[in-house]
Amino acid sequence: MTCSTASLPQGSLFTRYGGISGLRSVIMMFYDAVLDSEVIGHFFDDVDMGRLIDHQTRFFAMLMGGPADFSNDRLARAHAHLDLTHAHFDEVRRLLAETLDAAGFAPADRDIVMAEVEARRSVIVRS
Amino acid sequence: MFPEDLSARLLKSIGVGVCLAEAGTRRILYANPTFLGWFPDAASGTDLCEAVGGLDPVRLETDRPFELRTKVKRRTLVIETQLRKAEHDGRPLLVIECQNVSRLRETEAMIDSYAAMVDRRTRDLEREKTHVEKLLLNIMPRSVYEEYTTFGSVAPRLFEPVSVLMLDFVGFTEMAAAADPTVTVGELNDIFTAFDRIGELCGCERIKTIGDCYMAVAGLPHPHPDHALAAARCAVKMMRYLDRRNTTHQHQWRARIGIASGSVVGSVVGIQKYVYDVFGPAVNRAARLQQISDPMEITICGSLMGELIDTFDISPPRTEDLRGFGEVSVATLSERRPAASAIAS
Repeated sequence: MTCSTASLPQGSLFTRYGGISGLRSVIMMFYDAVLDSEVIGHFFDDVDMGRLIDHQTRFFAMLMGGPADFSNDRLARAHAHLDLTHAHFDEVRRLLAETLDAAGFAPADRDIVMAEVEARRSVIVRS
Repeated sequence: MFPEDLSARLLKSIGVGVCLAEAGTRRILYANPTFLGWFPDAASGTDLCEAVGGLDPVRLETDRPFELRTKVKRRTLVIETQLRKAEHDGRPLLVIECQNVSRLRETEAMIDSYAAMVDRRTRDLEREKTHVEKLLLNIMPRSVYEEYTTFGSVAPRLFEPVSVLMLDFVGFTEMAAAADPTVTVGELNDIFTAFDRIGELCGCERIKTIGDCYMAVAGLPHPHPDHALAAARCAVKMMRYLDRRNTTHQHQWRARIGIASGSVVGSVVGIQKYVYDVFGPAVNRAARLQQISDPMEITICGSLMGELIDTFDISPPRTEDLRGFGEVSVATLSERRPAASAIAS
Protein backbone atom coordinates (compact mmCIF):
# COMPACT_ATOMS: atom_id res chain seq x y z
CA MET A 1 0.00 0.00 0.00
CA THR A 2 2.54 2.55 -1.05
CA CYS A 3 2.24 5.26 -3.63
CA SER A 4 5.14 6.00 -5.99
CA THR A 5 5.79 8.92 -8.30
CA ALA A 6 5.19 8.20 -11.99
CA SER A 7 8.25 8.08 -14.26
CA LEU A 8 9.08 11.28 -16.12
CA PRO A 9 8.07 11.53 -19.78
CA GLN A 10 10.78 11.20 -22.44
CA GLY A 11 12.76 14.37 -23.14
CA SER A 12 11.47 16.83 -25.72
CA LEU A 13 13.20 17.38 -29.07
CA PHE A 14 14.48 20.65 -27.63
CA THR A 15 16.26 18.75 -24.86
CA ARG A 16 17.41 15.89 -27.08
CA TYR A 17 19.10 18.30 -29.49
CA GLY A 18 21.09 19.90 -26.69
CA GLY A 19 18.82 22.72 -25.53
CA ILE A 20 19.77 26.25 -26.39
CA SER A 21 23.50 25.48 -26.73
CA GLY A 22 22.85 22.65 -29.16
CA LEU A 23 20.27 24.57 -31.18
CA ARG A 24 22.04 27.92 -31.24
CA SER A 25 23.64 27.41 -34.62
CA VAL A 26 20.42 25.97 -36.08
CA ILE A 27 18.44 29.02 -34.99
CA MET A 28 21.12 31.29 -36.50
CA MET A 29 21.04 29.37 -39.78
CA PHE A 30 17.29 29.81 -39.96
CA TYR A 31 17.60 33.49 -39.03
CA ASP A 32 20.00 34.00 -41.94
CA ALA A 33 17.81 32.03 -44.34
CA VAL A 34 14.70 34.01 -43.44
CA LEU A 35 16.45 37.36 -43.87
CA ASP A 36 17.89 36.33 -47.23
CA SER A 37 14.57 35.02 -48.54
CA GLU A 38 13.10 36.93 -51.47
CA VAL A 39 9.62 35.76 -50.48
CA ILE A 40 9.43 36.59 -46.79
CA GLY A 41 12.60 38.58 -46.03
CA HIS A 42 10.87 41.92 -46.60
CA PHE A 43 8.63 41.33 -43.59
CA PHE A 44 11.70 41.86 -41.45
CA ASP A 45 13.04 45.00 -43.15
CA ASP A 46 12.13 47.23 -40.24
CA VAL A 47 12.27 44.69 -37.44
CA ASP A 48 14.88 45.25 -34.76
CA MET A 49 17.56 42.52 -34.65
CA GLY A 50 16.92 41.72 -30.96
CA ARG A 51 13.21 41.32 -31.59
CA LEU A 52 13.75 39.10 -34.60
CA ILE A 53 16.20 36.86 -32.73
CA ASP A 54 13.76 36.68 -29.82
CA HIS A 55 11.02 35.70 -32.25
CA GLN A 56 13.15 32.95 -33.84
CA THR A 57 14.32 31.56 -30.50
CA ARG A 58 10.77 31.31 -29.20
CA PHE A 59 9.64 29.85 -32.53
CA PHE A 60 12.11 26.95 -32.20
CA ALA A 61 11.38 26.46 -28.51
CA MET A 62 7.65 26.29 -29.30
CA LEU A 63 8.07 23.77 -32.13
CA MET A 64 10.49 21.51 -30.28
CA GLY A 65 8.94 21.38 -26.83
CA GLY A 66 11.24 23.98 -25.25
CA PRO A 67 10.22 26.42 -22.54
CA ALA A 68 7.82 28.41 -24.76
CA ASP A 69 4.22 27.75 -25.51
CA PHE A 70 1.90 30.08 -27.35
CA SER A 71 -1.82 29.74 -27.67
CA ASN A 72 -3.31 29.80 -31.15
CA ASP A 73 -5.07 33.06 -30.25
CA ARG A 74 -1.77 34.69 -29.43
CA LEU A 75 -0.13 33.43 -32.62
CA ALA A 76 -3.08 34.67 -34.67
CA ARG A 77 -2.92 38.12 -33.06
CA ALA A 78 0.85 38.38 -33.58
CA HIS A 79 0.59 37.59 -37.30
CA ALA A 80 -2.74 39.25 -38.12
CA HIS A 81 -1.28 42.55 -39.37
CA LEU A 82 1.06 40.79 -41.83
CA ASP A 83 -1.72 39.43 -44.02
CA LEU A 84 0.24 36.23 -44.71
CA THR A 85 -0.58 33.91 -47.61
CA HIS A 86 -0.07 30.19 -48.13
CA ALA A 87 2.94 31.05 -50.33
CA HIS A 88 4.56 32.83 -47.39
CA PHE A 89 3.81 29.92 -45.12
CA ASP A 90 5.18 27.42 -47.63
CA GLU A 91 8.39 29.44 -47.85
CA VAL A 92 8.83 29.25 -44.06
CA ARG A 93 8.28 25.50 -44.26
CA ARG A 94 10.82 25.16 -47.07
CA LEU A 95 13.49 27.19 -45.28
CA LEU A 96 12.91 25.35 -42.03
CA ALA A 97 13.14 21.93 -43.68
CA GLU A 98 16.38 22.95 -45.42
CA THR A 99 17.81 24.28 -42.17
CA LEU A 100 16.95 21.15 -40.21
CA ASP A 101 18.40 18.92 -42.93
CA ALA A 102 21.59 20.97 -43.07
CA ALA A 103 21.84 20.81 -39.27
CA GLY A 104 21.70 17.00 -39.39
CA PHE A 105 18.28 16.42 -37.86
CA ALA A 106 17.06 12.82 -38.11
CA PRO A 107 14.30 12.64 -40.75
CA ALA A 108 11.73 11.47 -38.18
CA ASP A 109 12.55 14.39 -35.90
CA ARG A 110 12.45 16.84 -38.79
CA ASP A 111 9.00 15.51 -39.68
CA ILE A 112 7.79 16.09 -36.12
CA VAL A 113 8.94 19.72 -36.27
CA MET A 114 7.38 20.20 -39.71
CA ALA A 115 4.11 18.73 -38.47
CA GLU A 116 4.16 21.21 -35.58
CA VAL A 117 4.56 24.07 -38.06
CA GLU A 118 1.85 22.74 -40.34
CA ALA A 119 -0.54 22.45 -37.41
CA ARG A 120 -0.43 26.24 -37.10
CA ARG A 121 -1.05 27.05 -40.76
CA SER A 122 -4.74 27.84 -40.35
CA VAL A 123 -3.94 30.12 -37.41
CA ILE A 124 -1.30 32.14 -39.22
CA VAL A 125 -2.58 32.28 -42.81
CA ARG A 126 -5.76 34.32 -43.06
CA SER A 127 -7.43 33.32 -46.26
CA MET B 1 60.85 43.85 -44.79
CA PHE B 2 57.16 43.69 -45.63
CA PRO B 3 56.54 44.19 -49.38
CA GLU B 4 54.37 47.27 -49.95
CA ASP B 5 52.00 45.56 -52.40
CA LEU B 6 51.46 42.77 -49.87
CA SER B 7 50.31 45.32 -47.27
CA ALA B 8 47.86 46.77 -49.76
CA ARG B 9 46.59 43.32 -50.72
CA LEU B 10 46.21 42.38 -47.05
CA LEU B 11 44.20 45.52 -46.35
CA LYS B 12 41.93 44.65 -49.23
CA SER B 13 41.34 41.05 -48.19
CA ILE B 14 41.04 41.09 -44.39
CA GLY B 15 37.67 40.91 -42.63
CA VAL B 16 38.50 43.96 -40.53
CA GLY B 17 37.24 47.30 -41.86
CA VAL B 18 40.00 49.93 -42.03
CA CYS B 19 39.65 53.61 -42.89
CA LEU B 20 42.17 56.46 -42.84
CA ALA B 21 41.08 60.08 -42.53
CA GLU B 22 42.70 63.48 -41.98
CA ALA B 23 42.38 64.37 -38.30
CA GLY B 24 41.50 68.03 -38.84
CA THR B 25 39.23 68.00 -41.89
CA ARG B 26 37.86 64.46 -41.24
CA ARG B 27 38.34 63.90 -45.00
CA ILE B 28 38.58 60.20 -45.85
CA LEU B 29 41.88 59.26 -47.47
CA TYR B 30 41.37 55.53 -47.78
CA ALA B 31 38.79 52.86 -46.89
CA ASN B 32 39.37 49.17 -47.51
CA PRO B 33 36.67 47.05 -49.27
CA THR B 34 35.37 45.58 -46.01
CA PHE B 35 34.82 49.07 -44.58
CA LEU B 36 33.14 50.17 -47.83
CA GLY B 37 30.91 47.09 -47.69
CA TRP B 38 29.56 48.26 -44.35
CA PHE B 39 29.65 52.01 -45.06
CA PRO B 40 29.22 52.41 -48.86
CA ASP B 41 29.31 56.23 -48.69
CA ALA B 42 32.88 56.27 -47.35
CA ALA B 43 34.52 57.20 -50.66
CA SER B 44 37.84 59.05 -50.65
CA GLY B 45 37.45 62.75 -50.06
CA THR B 46 34.11 62.58 -48.23
CA ASP B 47 33.59 63.68 -44.64
CA LEU B 48 34.07 60.72 -42.31
CA CYS B 49 31.16 61.64 -40.01
CA GLU B 50 28.79 62.15 -42.93
CA ALA B 51 29.81 58.88 -44.58
CA VAL B 52 29.54 56.76 -41.44
CA GLY B 53 26.09 56.93 -39.84
CA GLY B 54 26.16 57.32 -36.10
CA LEU B 55 29.74 58.54 -35.99
CA ASP B 56 29.36 61.76 -34.08
CA PRO B 57 32.34 64.23 -34.22
CA VAL B 58 32.53 64.00 -30.42
CA ARG B 59 33.28 60.31 -30.75
CA LEU B 60 36.37 61.09 -32.77
CA GLU B 61 37.97 62.28 -29.54
CA THR B 62 37.45 59.03 -27.68
CA ASP B 63 40.01 56.28 -27.56
CA ARG B 64 37.61 53.68 -26.20
CA PRO B 65 35.92 51.26 -28.61
CA PHE B 66 32.24 51.88 -29.36
CA GLU B 67 29.56 50.24 -31.49
CA LEU B 68 28.02 51.52 -34.70
CA ARG B 69 24.98 50.07 -36.42
CA THR B 70 24.58 49.86 -40.15
CA LYS B 71 22.14 48.04 -42.36
CA VAL B 72 23.42 45.81 -45.15
CA LYS B 73 20.49 44.53 -47.17
CA ARG B 74 18.02 43.57 -44.41
CA ARG B 75 20.58 42.74 -41.78
CA THR B 76 21.44 45.23 -39.10
CA LEU B 77 25.15 44.87 -38.46
CA VAL B 78 26.79 45.80 -35.19
CA ILE B 79 30.27 47.17 -35.89
CA GLU B 80 32.72 47.56 -33.04
CA THR B 81 34.82 50.60 -33.84
CA GLN B 82 38.17 51.73 -32.47
CA LEU B 83 39.76 55.09 -33.37
CA ARG B 84 43.49 55.66 -33.18
CA LYS B 85 45.48 58.80 -33.81
CA ALA B 86 48.52 58.47 -36.07
CA GLU B 87 50.89 60.67 -38.08
CA HIS B 88 52.23 60.29 -41.59
CA ASP B 89 54.71 62.70 -43.13
CA GLY B 90 53.87 65.16 -40.37
CA ARG B 91 50.11 65.00 -41.10
CA PRO B 92 47.85 63.98 -38.20
CA LEU B 93 45.68 61.06 -39.22
CA LEU B 94 42.75 59.08 -37.81
CA VAL B 95 42.87 55.32 -38.21
CA ILE B 96 39.42 53.75 -37.90
CA GLU B 97 39.42 50.03 -37.28
CA CYS B 98 36.10 48.14 -37.39
CA GLN B 99 35.08 44.58 -36.50
CA ASN B 100 31.74 42.97 -37.25
CA VAL B 101 30.42 41.72 -33.89
CA SER B 102 26.87 41.12 -35.14
CA ARG B 103 26.95 37.36 -34.56
CA LEU B 104 28.12 37.90 -31.01
CA ARG B 105 25.31 40.38 -30.34
CA GLU B 106 22.77 38.11 -32.04
CA THR B 107 23.88 35.22 -29.85
CA GLU B 108 23.61 37.42 -26.78
CA ALA B 109 20.09 38.41 -27.85
CA MET B 110 19.25 34.72 -28.23
CA ILE B 111 20.57 33.89 -24.76
CA ASP B 112 18.58 36.83 -23.32
CA SER B 113 15.47 35.58 -25.07
CA TYR B 114 16.01 32.06 -23.80
CA ALA B 115 16.76 33.24 -20.26
CA ALA B 116 13.50 35.23 -20.27
CA MET B 117 11.63 32.11 -21.45
CA VAL B 118 13.21 29.98 -18.74
CA ASP B 119 12.43 32.60 -16.09
CA ARG B 120 8.80 32.66 -17.19
CA ARG B 121 8.65 28.85 -17.22
CA THR B 122 10.26 28.72 -13.76
CA ARG B 123 7.68 31.15 -12.39
CA ASP B 124 4.90 29.06 -13.96
CA LEU B 125 6.34 25.90 -12.42
CA GLU B 126 6.58 27.56 -9.02
CA ARG B 127 2.94 28.58 -9.26
CA GLU B 128 2.01 25.09 -10.37
CA LYS B 129 4.00 23.55 -7.53
CA THR B 130 2.22 25.73 -4.98
CA HIS B 131 -1.10 24.76 -6.51
CA VAL B 132 -0.27 21.04 -6.42
CA GLU B 133 0.98 21.34 -2.85
CA LYS B 134 -2.27 23.00 -1.86
CA LEU B 135 -4.30 20.25 -3.51
CA LEU B 136 -2.23 17.47 -1.94
CA LEU B 137 -2.48 19.09 1.49
CA ASN B 138 -6.24 18.88 1.06
CA ILE B 139 -6.07 15.12 0.79
CA MET B 140 -3.27 14.29 3.19
CA PRO B 141 -1.72 15.69 6.38
CA ARG B 142 1.37 17.86 5.93
CA SER B 143 3.74 15.32 7.52
CA VAL B 144 2.46 12.65 5.10
CA TYR B 145 2.83 15.09 2.19
CA GLU B 146 6.42 15.79 3.23
CA GLU B 147 7.17 12.07 3.41
CA TYR B 148 5.61 11.64 -0.03
CA THR B 149 7.59 14.46 -1.66
CA THR B 150 10.88 13.41 0.02
CA PHE B 151 10.74 9.67 -0.61
CA GLY B 152 8.19 9.39 -3.43
CA SER B 153 6.10 7.00 -1.38
CA VAL B 154 4.25 6.83 1.91
CA ALA B 155 4.57 3.85 4.23
CA PRO B 156 1.36 2.74 5.98
CA ARG B 157 1.52 3.80 9.61
CA LEU B 158 -0.36 2.68 12.69
CA PHE B 159 -1.80 5.47 14.83
CA GLU B 160 -2.84 4.41 18.29
CA PRO B 161 -5.01 5.52 19.87
CA VAL B 162 -7.06 8.08 17.97
CA SER B 163 -10.69 9.24 17.94
CA VAL B 164 -12.68 9.12 14.73
CA LEU B 165 -15.52 11.55 14.08
CA MET B 166 -18.03 10.55 11.43
CA LEU B 167 -20.76 12.98 10.34
CA ASP B 168 -23.47 12.94 7.74
CA PHE B 169 -26.60 14.95 7.04
CA VAL B 170 -30.17 13.83 7.44
CA GLY B 171 -32.17 13.95 4.23
CA PHE B 172 -29.34 15.26 2.06
CA THR B 173 -30.39 13.21 -0.98
CA GLU B 174 -33.97 14.54 -0.76
CA MET B 175 -32.71 18.08 -0.28
CA ALA B 176 -30.43 17.82 -3.31
CA ALA B 177 -33.31 16.47 -5.40
CA ALA B 178 -35.84 19.06 -4.21
CA ALA B 179 -33.70 22.18 -4.55
CA ASP B 180 -31.26 23.32 -7.23
CA PRO B 181 -28.40 20.80 -6.77
CA THR B 182 -25.76 23.44 -7.46
CA VAL B 183 -27.11 25.55 -4.58
CA THR B 184 -27.20 22.52 -2.29
CA VAL B 185 -23.66 21.52 -3.14
CA GLY B 186 -22.54 25.15 -2.76
CA GLU B 187 -23.99 25.22 0.75
CA LEU B 188 -22.41 21.84 1.54
CA ASN B 189 -19.07 23.30 0.48
CA ASP B 190 -19.56 26.28 2.84
CA ILE B 191 -20.42 23.97 5.70
CA PHE B 192 -17.49 21.63 5.12
CA THR B 193 -15.17 24.62 4.89
CA ALA B 194 -16.47 25.77 8.28
CA PHE B 195 -15.98 22.24 9.64
CA ASP B 196 -12.37 22.29 8.42
CA ARG B 197 -11.78 25.47 10.41
CA ILE B 198 -13.45 24.01 13.49
CA GLY B 199 -11.35 20.86 13.12
CA GLU B 200 -8.21 22.93 12.86
CA LEU B 201 -9.11 24.80 16.05
CA CYS B 202 -9.91 21.62 17.95
CA GLY B 203 -6.99 19.49 16.77
CA CYS B 204 -8.93 17.29 14.34
CA GLU B 205 -7.64 16.45 10.88
CA ARG B 206 -10.18 16.09 8.12
CA ILE B 207 -9.42 12.82 6.32
CA LYS B 208 -12.07 12.79 3.64
CA THR B 209 -15.58 13.59 2.58
CA ILE B 210 -17.79 11.26 0.60
CA GLY B 211 -20.86 13.05 -0.66
CA ASP B 212 -22.42 14.56 2.47
CA CYS B 213 -20.32 12.40 4.81
CA TYR B 214 -17.45 14.10 6.64
CA MET B 215 -14.74 12.18 8.47
CA ALA B 216 -12.13 13.67 10.78
CA VAL B 217 -9.61 12.13 13.18
CA ALA B 218 -8.05 13.49 16.37
CA GLY B 219 -4.61 12.13 17.29
CA LEU B 220 -3.28 11.86 13.74
CA PRO B 221 -0.68 12.40 12.36
CA HIS B 222 0.69 13.64 15.69
CA PRO B 223 -0.32 11.78 18.86
CA HIS B 224 -2.82 13.73 20.98
CA PRO B 225 -3.27 12.60 24.61
CA ASP B 226 -6.77 14.14 24.72
CA HIS B 227 -7.90 12.89 21.32
CA ALA B 228 -11.37 11.92 22.58
CA LEU B 229 -11.84 15.35 24.12
CA ALA B 230 -10.66 17.01 20.89
CA ALA B 231 -13.11 14.98 18.77
CA ALA B 232 -15.98 15.67 21.16
CA ARG B 233 -15.22 19.43 21.23
CA CYS B 234 -15.10 19.40 17.45
CA ALA B 235 -18.46 17.59 17.24
CA VAL B 236 -20.17 19.96 19.66
CA LYS B 237 -18.87 23.03 17.79
CA MET B 238 -20.04 21.57 14.47
CA MET B 239 -23.52 21.08 15.88
CA ARG B 240 -23.51 24.60 17.35
CA TYR B 241 -22.44 26.00 13.98
CA LEU B 242 -25.32 24.18 12.22
CA ASP B 243 -27.84 25.33 14.83
CA ARG B 244 -26.86 28.96 14.30
CA ARG B 245 -26.72 28.62 10.55
CA ASN B 246 -30.20 27.09 10.43
CA THR B 247 -31.72 30.13 12.15
CA THR B 248 -30.72 32.38 9.23
CA HIS B 249 -30.88 30.06 6.21
CA GLN B 250 -33.75 28.54 4.30
CA HIS B 251 -32.25 25.07 4.01
CA GLN B 252 -32.08 23.26 7.33
CA TRP B 253 -28.94 21.18 7.66
CA ARG B 254 -29.26 18.53 10.37
CA ALA B 255 -26.33 16.25 11.08
CA ARG B 256 -25.75 12.97 12.88
CA ILE B 257 -22.36 12.34 14.44
CA GLY B 258 -20.65 9.21 15.74
CA ILE B 259 -17.39 9.21 17.71
CA ALA B 260 -15.30 6.12 18.43
CA SER B 261 -11.75 5.57 19.63
CA GLY B 262 -9.19 2.94 18.77
CA SER B 263 -6.26 2.33 16.46
CA VAL B 264 -6.21 3.13 12.75
CA VAL B 265 -3.74 2.63 9.93
CA GLY B 266 -3.14 5.68 7.76
CA SER B 267 -1.79 5.38 4.23
CA VAL B 268 -1.85 6.77 0.74
CA VAL B 269 -3.97 4.47 -1.38
CA GLY B 270 -3.69 4.23 -5.14
CA ILE B 271 -0.93 5.15 -7.58
CA GLN B 272 -2.38 7.28 -10.36
CA LYS B 273 -5.42 8.50 -8.41
CA TYR B 274 -4.19 8.41 -4.89
CA VAL B 275 -5.86 9.46 -1.71
CA TYR B 276 -4.89 9.44 1.92
CA ASP B 277 -7.21 7.29 3.99
CA VAL B 278 -7.41 5.61 7.38
CA PHE B 279 -8.58 2.10 8.15
CA GLY B 280 -9.47 0.24 11.31
CA PRO B 281 -12.29 -0.81 13.61
CA ALA B 282 -12.60 2.70 15.07
CA VAL B 283 -13.55 4.03 11.62
CA ASN B 284 -16.28 1.43 11.18
CA ARG B 285 -17.55 1.85 14.75
CA ALA B 286 -17.79 5.63 14.34
CA ALA B 287 -19.76 5.08 11.14
CA ARG B 288 -22.22 2.71 12.91
CA LEU B 289 -22.65 5.18 15.79
CA GLN B 290 -23.38 7.95 13.33
CA GLN B 291 -25.99 5.77 11.60
CA ILE B 292 -27.92 5.07 14.80
CA SER B 293 -27.90 8.74 15.85
CA ASP B 294 -31.00 10.89 15.68
CA PRO B 295 -30.83 14.19 13.79
CA MET B 296 -28.51 16.61 15.60
CA GLU B 297 -27.39 13.87 18.01
CA ILE B 298 -23.78 12.98 18.83
CA THR B 299 -23.37 9.33 19.79
CA ILE B 300 -20.21 8.08 21.47
CA CYS B 301 -18.87 4.71 22.58
CA GLY B 302 -19.67 3.99 26.20
CA SER B 303 -15.92 3.49 26.81
CA LEU B 304 -15.33 7.22 26.25
CA MET B 305 -17.70 8.36 28.97
CA GLY B 306 -15.02 8.45 31.67
CA GLU B 307 -12.84 10.83 29.68
CA LEU B 308 -15.65 13.17 28.66
CA ILE B 309 -18.05 13.25 31.59
CA ASP B 310 -16.28 16.19 33.25
CA THR B 311 -16.60 18.40 30.18
CA PHE B 312 -19.86 17.44 28.46
CA ASP B 313 -23.37 16.37 29.31
CA ILE B 314 -23.62 12.66 28.66
CA SER B 315 -26.80 10.60 28.77
CA PRO B 316 -26.93 7.36 30.76
CA PRO B 317 -25.36 4.57 28.70
CA ARG B 318 -27.61 2.30 26.67
CA THR B 319 -26.91 -0.86 24.70
CA GLU B 320 -27.24 -0.89 20.93
CA ASP B 321 -26.72 -3.70 18.44
CA LEU B 322 -24.15 -2.37 15.94
CA ARG B 323 -23.71 -4.23 12.69
CA GLY B 324 -20.39 -6.08 12.80
CA PHE B 325 -19.80 -5.26 16.49
CA GLY B 326 -22.78 -6.83 18.27
CA GLU B 327 -24.08 -5.34 21.49
CA VAL B 328 -22.21 -2.16 22.34
CA SER B 329 -22.63 0.36 25.13
CA VAL B 330 -23.27 3.82 23.71
CA ALA B 331 -24.29 7.25 25.02
CA THR B 332 -25.44 10.61 23.73
CA LEU B 333 -23.07 13.54 24.16
CA SER B 334 -24.13 17.16 24.19
CA GLU B 335 -22.81 20.58 25.10
CA ARG B 336 -22.83 21.13 28.83
CA ARG B 337 -25.71 23.38 29.81
CA PRO B 338 -24.92 25.97 32.50
CA ALA B 339 -25.89 24.62 35.90
CA ALA B 340 -29.10 26.07 37.46
CA SER B 341 -27.08 27.50 40.33
CA ALA B 342 -24.76 29.23 37.87
CA ILE B 343 -27.73 30.75 36.03
CA ALA B 344 -29.27 31.95 39.32
CA SER B 345 -26.05 33.59 40.39
